[in-house]
Amino acid sequence: MLKKIECYIQPSKLESVKNALIEAGVEGISKSDVEGFGKQRGYKNGETPNKDVKFLPKTKLEIVVEEEIVDSVTSIIVKLAKTGKIGAGKVFVLPVEDAIRVRTSEAGRSALS
Amino acid sequence: MNDSKSIKKSVWDMALSRLDTTMDLLNLTSGLKKYLREPRKILEVAVTVKMDSGDIDIFKGYRVQHNTNRGPAKGGIRYHPDVNLDEIKALALLMTLKCAVVGIPFGGAKGGVVVDPRALSARELENLTRRYTFEIINSIGPERDIPAPDVGTNAQVMAWIMDTYSIDKGYSVPGVVTGKPIELGGSLGREEATGRGVVYSLLSALKVNNIESTNYEVAIQGFGNVGSSAAKILYDLGFKIVAISDVEGTIYNPKGIDPHSVYNHALKTKTVAGYKEAEGMAREDIFGLPCDILIPAALENQIVKSNAPGIRARFIVEGANAPVTPAADGILKEKGIFVVPDILANAGGVTVSYFEWVQGNDAYFWSRREVNLKLRDIMERAFYQTYAAAQEKKVDMRTAASMLAVERVADAVRLRGIYP
Repeated sequence: MLKKIECYIQPSKLESVKNALIEAGVEGISKSDVEGFGKQRGYKNGETPNKDVKFLPKTKLEIVVEEEIVDSVTSIIVKLAKTGKIGAGKVFVLPVEDAIRVRTSEAGRSALS
Repeated sequence: MNDSKSIKKSVWDMALSRLDTTMDLLNLTSGLKKYLREPRKILEVAVTVKMDSGDIDIFKGYRVQHNTNRGPAKGGIRYHPDVNLDEIKALALLMTLKCAVVGIPFGGAKGGVVVDPRALSARELENLTRRYTFEIINSIGPERDIPAPDVGTNAQVMAWIMDTYSIDKGYSVPGVVTGKPIELGGSLGREEATGRGVVYSLLSALKVNNIESTNYEVAIQGFGNVGSSAAKILYDLGFKIVAISDVEGTIYNPKGIDPHSVYNHALKTKTVAGYKEAEGMAREDIFGLPCDILIPAALENQIVKSNAPGIRARFIVEGANAPVTPAADGILKEKGIFVVPDILANAGGVTVSYFEWVQGNDAYFWSRREVNLKLRDIMERAFYQTYAAAQEKKVDMRTAASMLAVERVADAVRLRGIYP
């Protein structure tokens, strides 16, 4: 089964996470610059929150892999994206019904490799 | 422990007194109380085996179905020289509560044979298993009562039970037991399920106590299936395992022990004792060592009045069934130790047994990841329901779990009514 990993990390952690994922055999990553907030509503340690939420810059990665390597991919992300502070990010794992390569029409597992 | 024999005799009385306390708190009617105290069915059988010597020997076997109101009876089969009817009845009652607290559609059962399986040859063990199965064959079945491994039994024993039952019926019936080998319809993740469930319970317990770090020291009493799985999973999550014990002794290293390496050592020598990279101590010493988390994962009645005051852990997660006597429980409570009780903490095993039964009935099997995620979901839900009940009723986790479970069984009895 194919799974999609979507994660939101600090932009400064992109390089190391990307390199480690490639090292681990991940063959494709999509990256986007996004803004978001979580439980802290965008306030960092030491800031006094008011009623507005603040969108903070984050990097979003999207990766589709075989189920067997999901746990190793997520543990690499979690390990390398850690900052020791709040707002380091989150990782989500989603089911993927199918994948199709445009050039060849290969589907499923073959579309990834 | 020298007094283990005399303590064991009262396991059933202890289980009943706990049940009574819970039923009083729930204000059940006296009829319902009587009903829940009484096991529905008790089988006592003579298991006759032709030994390798050519002579015959007879072993006493039991199967107790405590309750079947929420579904087929479910529970392990134990091969141990100390097996007795009181113990099996108590463990069957515990299974009823365990299945109810995690919300899986089973009642409770337990079985056992009074035998030291290590003293038998492989052929004798197989014959004993097949003869025991034959003696209880009309009481078990995928819709009646589904055995599983317990102390002294394993996937191979389950395969023999499944085969004997299937030969009798004339077709393969994989759903008659759980904990089978993968090749015969076992579930991925079943082997380490109880240990994994213990870990999920611990993580939830830390979370509700606002602890985010895994930088905690763990002592594990018992290094069988449950203790070794829990130790390995915790170690991989970053916890520091400082002590491990089994029947032969305790090993202790405040700098940390790699349970994977201890496991390999124990595979060769049959014990954790003698492991080089830790200090050797007496078995009982594990209860006095400094640690944050203690996981009793051996037999019943290990934490007793005499050793409870010396326990230094802040969290106890009961991997074993009834490892703490009621008297010791009071001491732990006074010390402010957060205890995740057996019927909640070690329910991971029966939960994945349930998954195995579901997969077997569907003849469609899940990936390991799917099994583990579903297990986590059930364990977390049960923990948080119990925790919420404990907060609301201002009782400890053991009482809350027991109340939740008994209430669910009582509801099932009320809804089904009494036949005729």
